[in-house]
Amino acid sequence: MTRNPRLLSTVALAGALLLAGCTAGSTDTSTSKGGKATLTFLTFETPNLDAKYWDAAIARASAKVPGVTVKKLVSPSADRTGYAKQLDSTGQFPDIMIGLNPAGFAEAGKLAEWSDEDLENYIDPRANTYDGKVYQLPYATQATFVYYNKNDFAKAGIDTPPRTYKELLDASAKLKAKGINPFVVGGGGKDSWADMFPLICTVATDVYKETPDWLAQRRAGKVKFTDPAFVAAAQKVADLAEKGYIDRAGLSRSYADTEQAFRDGKGAMYPMGSWFSASADAKKPSFETGVFAWPTDHGSPALPGVTGGGMTVSSKASDVDLAKKWAKAFMEDEKNLNAAVKADALIIAIKGYTPPDNMGPVYEETVAAYRRAQSADGVVNSFSQETGDGSLPPGLADKAAAGVQKLLSGGMTASEFGAYMDSQWTKATR
Amino acid sequence: MDLKRSPRSLRRARSRDGLTRFAVFAAPGLLVYLALVLVPIGITTAYSFTNKNPFNPPTHWVGLDNLTSLVSDDEFRKALWNTIIITGIVTIVTNAGGLAIAMLLDRRGWLYNMLRSVFFVPVVLSAVVVSVIWQTILVDDGLLNSKLRQLGMSDPPGWLSNPDLALYTVSWVIAWQGIGFCVVIYLAGLQGIPQELHEAAAIDGCGPMMRFRHVTWPMLAPAVTINTVMSLIGGFKAYDQVQVLTNGGPGPGTTSTLAFQVVQTAFNGNHVGYASAMAVVMLVLVAAVSVIALGLLQKREVSS
Repeated sequence: MTRNPRLLSTVALAGALLLAGCTAGSTDTSTSKGGKATLTFLTFETPNLDAKYWDAAIARASAKVPGVTVKKLVSPSADRTGYAKQLDSTGQFPDIMIGLNPAGFAEAGKLAEWSDEDLENYIDPRANTYDGKVYQLPYATQATFVYYNKNDFAKAGIDTPPRTYKELLDASAKLKAKGINPFVVGGGGKDSWADMFPLICTVATDVYKETPDWLAQRRAGKVKFTDPAFVAAAQKVADLAEKGYIDRAGLSRSYADTEQAFRDGKGAMYPMGSWFSASADAKKPSFETGVFAWPTDHGSPALPGVTGGGMTVSSKASDVDLAKKWAKAFMEDEKNLNAAVKADALIIAIKGYTPPDNMGPVYEETVAAYRRAQSADGVVNSFSQETGDGSLPPGLADKAAAGVQKLLSGGMTASEFGAYMDSQWTKATR
Repeated sequence: MDLKRSPRSLRRARSRDGLTRFAVFAAPGLLVYLALVLVPIGITTAYSFTNKNPFNPPTHWVGLDNLTSLVSDDEFRKALWNTIIITGIVTIVTNAGGLAIAMLLDRRGWLYNMLRSVFFVPVVLSAVVVSVIWQTILVDDGLLNSKLRQLGMSDPPGWLSNPDLALYTVSWVIAWQGIGFCVVIYLAGLQGIPQELHEAAAIDGCGPMMRFRHVTWPMLAPAVTINTVMSLIGGFKAYDQVQVLTNGGPGPGTTSTLAFQVVQTAFNGNHVGYASAMAVVMLVLVAAVSVIALGLLQKREVSS
């Protein structure tokens, strides 16, 4: 056997370079050739939006746009925005994304702009603008409501859902007196965001009702989190926990476990996004579920809602036009919309769309409550869920959720929470 | 063969051949190490001197600003302190528990062979899987508290929801997963101790405790070194369990570790330059602690 070290060295070196090249540089999975493209699409799975839902929806959109092959990417958690950042940092930014928070990506020029022509089918086309430009298809509205166990309310002698904040406190007291835990709130493990819903509601009623552009004013330095209005909103949450109306066990429950806890009757009220109505209809709990908007002090509506949630397209996609075409096809396909409404109880904001006739009672009641708030001009921003120019700086929503955990556990006062938010704001925007 | 070549040039040629052979076999590994470890460390170090924020270009050189900011950053100091506590607990629990279990399993028979595998299973599992399993046990209305309630405890602890407890709970989960590794290393160490030494000590009148102190413990010095250094490194790198079990909470930074803080700062806050400075500090700390521990423990190996 002859040995040829030089040849071996060359082969080994080439192999190693190839290996190193494969690992460090093989990030661009999108290709485009002759009107055909392979595009990556970032999705996220939840108990409502499972793999089967996404696969079927992708297949329907692909059938409408010939030449596109879609490679589905799934965010490891519901935080698809955080995952998109990780992918971006390693040069693997997806071509198409759904439900992404465009903040940061938009300003950095990483997203393709939707034109007025692209947006002509949308009811509220300029719901989320960044410096006047739209980067996300505003295809649906979601709002935060209080879902309640009608049996528990009846047991506690509560005839009608609370219409003022005082009535909400009275109802909570009656439930507690009957040995029923008033509120189920989550926020454990990786799902700390799930503890935000009571604060989203109190900020809507106590801050945004009066000052709809409060966050924009915060950005301009005109208001602070330590201002009385915001502290009052945080104080309401702290008081609910202090009085034992919010079950502190929720601080260890994941989002899915929190929903299950409400289903299992571990609390009478469940402040949650309107998407819960899909779950309540599809898999009915052992009790009747009702819905009401978190009440203001005086009873006028202040419902936290956000319109957006649709597709964003990378400005660096191999074929931006084809990617936008596919994204719009996905977004505007009636069967996809019906599936999204069924699976996630979306209130679709596309002209001419009507939900399927066989929607469940909780969804119908949710939409009716939303329409009532809308007609009374009572829909306001949803704190920490806003997108567009008047949204929280990147990373601050997670910090707020961590602060709320401490607020709920009694380790932080409302004033301290306000000061904490101001200091985190300063850090996030330095 | 060239008979005229001097012994010196022959030695040189042999040495060259040796180097070539080394390059052939080591180059792939070295290049992968270079590409996946050294180059990222270099890039991270370079970023640590900048204000890099991929969503807010351009990037500027800021010198030591990031490092000096870390000194007064409460969140970073909290994460550092949490990391030290986790590392301390993990190192002590895995070593003490691992040694105790190894001594129990240092016997012949199919039962002991099977138990060795059982204790090693958590090491093979993903930290995420282990954390999810423990989460179902430790949540407020999970298996453990249900059992405690059945036993009459009306208000069992909030293992993951109580800010005063959560850090110790996370430490326990990390330690539980690491014990199996220590068991295997200690078992190998125990089986390497000549039986004659135990017999000689017994003949000299040593009881079990004296035999452990004067024979087993000194002879296990290399195993102690490996386990301690590996536990220290594992503790300093703690991330997965924190992410799954508590997401750094409950409350701001309650269970946040250095690695967790780096990821949060870089990917949630977009402050890549600042997060890189944290990562560099973490690297230096891990390296320093490991080198010091290794030096001290190896000295003990020689003296014992």
